[in-house]
Parts: sequence; C-alpha cells; structure tokens
Amino acid sequence: MNGKMYLLDLRGEPCPYPVVFSLEALRNLDKGTIVEILADCPQSFISVPEEVIKAGYEMLEPPRKVGPTLRFLVKIPDSGVISTI
Amino acid sequence: MAGLTFYRKEMVLVLLLLKNYYDNVIAGFWNQLFAIVALGILAALYFGSLGVAWAVTGEFTRWGAHVLQFIGWDVSNYSYLKLINFTGTPLTRIDGVMVIGMFAGAFISALLGQNVKVRIPTGRRIAQALLGGIIAGFGTRLAMGCNLAALFTGIPQFSFHAWLFTLGTIGGTYYGVKLSIYPLIMGNPKLMEVKEVGTAIENPVYYRIQPYIGMLGLAFFIYYLLNLVSGNYSANLLLAIIFGFGFGFLIQKGQICFTSAFRDLWLIGRANTAKALVWGMVVQTIITAVFLAKGMPPKVIWWAGPGALLGGVLFGVGIVIAGGCETGWMYRAVEGQVQFWFVGLGNVIGATILTIGWDSGVFALLVEPFPRVDLAKNFGYAGAILVTILMLFAVYLWADWRQASKSRMIGRS
Repeated sequence: MNGKMYLLDLRGEPCPYPVVFSLEALRNLDKGTIVEILADCPQSFISVPEEVIKAGYEMLEPPRKVGPTLRFLVKIPDSGVISTI
Repeated sequence: MAGLTFYRKEMVLVLLLLKNYYDNVIAGFWNQLFAIVALGILAALYFGSLGVAWAVTGEFTRWGAHVLQFIGWDVSNYSYLKLINFTGTPLTRIDGVMVIGMFAGAFISALLGQNVKVRIPTGRRIAQALLGGIIAGFGTRLAMGCNLAALFTGIPQFSFHAWLFTLGTIGGTYYGVKLSIYPLIMGNPKLMEVKEVGTAIENPVYYRIQPYIGMLGLAFFIYYLLNLVSGNYSANLLLAIIFGFGFGFLIQKGQICFTSAFRDLWLIGRANTAKALVWGMVVQTIITAVFLAKGMPPKVIWWAGPGALLGGVLFGVGIVIAGGCETGWMYRAVEGQVQFWFVGLGNVIGATILTIGWDSGVFALLVEPFPRVDLAKNFGYAGAILVTILMLFAVYLWADWRQASKSRMIGRS
C-alpha cells in the first residue's frame, strides 16, 4: 500500500451526519488513501456505503457490523475520483 | 458408526442454517420497501379493526396534559384536549397502549439485532434535539397530526389536510437541512492519521448477550398477552397492543425514518425512503378505501387550511434539526440513542405549548375558518383513489428527479 491511512470516528453522531461527514472527509484526500469510518447510527449501515460508492469511491470490504458499531473501509481509487458533480 | 456421523453432519447443517437465518433475518436490517409496505398494510388493518388511525402525537399531547395536571395546573378548560378526547390514562386508551406496544416492539427488535447501546451525543446535538423536538411537536399538533395522521395514515384516509401538511413538510425540511449543515451547528469531526486500520473495534462479547435478552423479552411479552386474554381485558386494547408491537418492530427493523425520506432528497439526492413511502401509501390507500366504502367513518378529516400547511413547515424544520420525527425518536430512544430521549421530551413540550395557545387565537385564526375536505366526498371512492395515487405518483417522480439532478444537492456544493 502506497497511500496514507486515516480513521474517521463518527460514533455517537446521528443521521444524517455520518453520510455528510464521510463524503466531506473523503473529498479532500489523495489518490490511494484508505479511510476507516466508524459509526453507530444504524441507518448509516446502508446509507454510508451506498453514497460512498455513488460518489466514486471504493469499498474495500463489505460493511461490517460488530454489535452496534458499523465499520466501513473506503479507498480513494488510484485512478482518482471520476466526479459526476 | 456411519449413522451417527451422518446425524452429526445434519446437526451442523441445521446449526449453520439457524446461524445464517439469525445473521440475515433477525440480526440484520430489513429492506425498507418491504418494511414500509408491511406498515401500510398493518396501518390499514389497524384502522379496519379498531376504527382509529395509526397515530402517536395525540398521545404525546395527552402525556403533556397529565404532567400539567400533576403539577396542579387546571387543564379542564383547554378545548384542544376535548378535541383529542383527553380521558383515562395511558393504560386505558387505545392510543396509549398502542404506543407502549410500539416501544416494546422496537426494543425487542433492537435487542435481537444487537443494536442497543447507550450513545452519548455532544451537547450541541442535545440542544438541537430539544429545540427541534419542540418546533416539530408544536407543528404537528397545529396540523392535527404528525408524519402518521397527517401523512402516512392521513393521505390514505383521503383527508386533504394531510396533503397540505405533506407539502409543508417537504418545504420545511429544505430549510431544516440548510440550518443543520450550517458549520456552527454541524461541527467538524477529526480525521486522524493511523498506522493500521481495524484496531478501534469494540469488544463484541458485550453485545452477544442481547439477542438472548430479546428472546426472553419476547417470551415475557407473549406470556403477558396470554394472561390478558384469559383475564377480563378489553379486546380492543389487546388488539391495539399487538398492532403497536408490530409497528414498533417494523420501524426498528426497517429503520423507517420519515425525516430522512425528505431530508436526504435535499441533502444528497437519496430517494429510497421517499419512494418506499409512496408505495406504502398506495397499498394502504386501496385497503383503507375498502373499509371506508363499507361504511367505516374516516378518522382524520381535519381542517385543510394554513394551520395544516404551516404546521407541516414547522414540522419539517423541526425534525431535520432534531434528527428524527415523532416515530423516529421512539425506536431510537429504545436503541439507547440519548439524543432522541430529548427529541421525545421536546415533542411533548411543543405539543403542550400548542394545547395552551390553541384557545388564544391559534384555532380562531389558522384553523377554524377553513373547511374539512374529504376527497372521497368530493370525488367518490374511485375518484379519490385515483386522485390520491396520481398525487403520490407526482411525489415519486419528484423524488426521482431529485435523485437524478445531483448538481443541486445541498450537501455536495
């Protein structure tokens, strides 16, 4: 792995903030960077991965749920984000 | 012992299937569309069997009145309380026991899915919850119903006031989103650089016990109901508890958040929930129409005037700031999300303020001069079904259009 690794801990934040914060944090990172996102608002289990993929990022593994904690491993593609915006 | 080996294999297979079933069906979240259509059917049957609409904020208003009475306030002159039949206690009212059933259903559902955890929010979010809850609570009672009686169960009863409320809510959520992503309110979580990912996971052992507590709770609930059946308990109240349990279970399992239905359209162009709501209401409209046409009197035909529209706007602003609506806070509160205890408290306070203000001009100015419009009386049942479904379809198309037009998203500017 060539990129940096980050942790975005959003435990305790209610919806919609996990989605908003995730998209915002991912926007300014370099290609190849890996971000681990933690959240515990149950709705984010579906909304965060879907919106992250829609925005052009890669999910490195299926969303994981340990007890109430949700974990998403996201990568900024090496080719960069092809923005639809 | 070939026979025994075979038997063991079967045992392992059964256990694996059970584990699979638990992981995917009981522990996981359910498809939203499925949950909302099931809620629509259940809500129509609730109306068909008990003659009341699935609603919760009327009951919250009565809780507020109980509190006022408790501190020695004289509530006997408030006409709003007469309007919503303030009699008895939460244990003797259909709405009252239904709400208790909802809490029980949502809590057991959350335990089965290992979703119970005391989540402590920041002070900022608690202030948002309380303030948004008060605004939303006031708005819903001004409009005579929340996302249920003035939207999800109001539209299928052909009450035009529900449409005004829904339009108001769609508009209000836009301003709610603008406010809630204002930097001072939103805050800014830290992105930390780490050497390794996957280290910050909590110990799962702590949560493994939850499904067993949930099953124990379910067994106790069934035992309690059987006790009621054998006693002299009112059949209507019993039915209301069971329906309530079903509603609560479904909103938790499907994570049915009416707030997100509109909020996420403005914020990120996410249309899943809004479209699912449309389907839930289409199904409910058709079943409800059967009961209405058979002669059941509609329950929620209220004044279609500025009160309903303004109530919707306030509700829309309030729910987005608070993070959840009048049903959303219920399942989140029992999941342990502390923020939503304050949303519930805010709802009761807001509804109580409306109760007190109702006779001092609110009713005379915003509500009373306007007609109660029953679409079924104006267009007949077939016509009302057609008009309702066409309008729901318009909402569906609008949601689709929001999803497609990403450039206008608030959250991605």
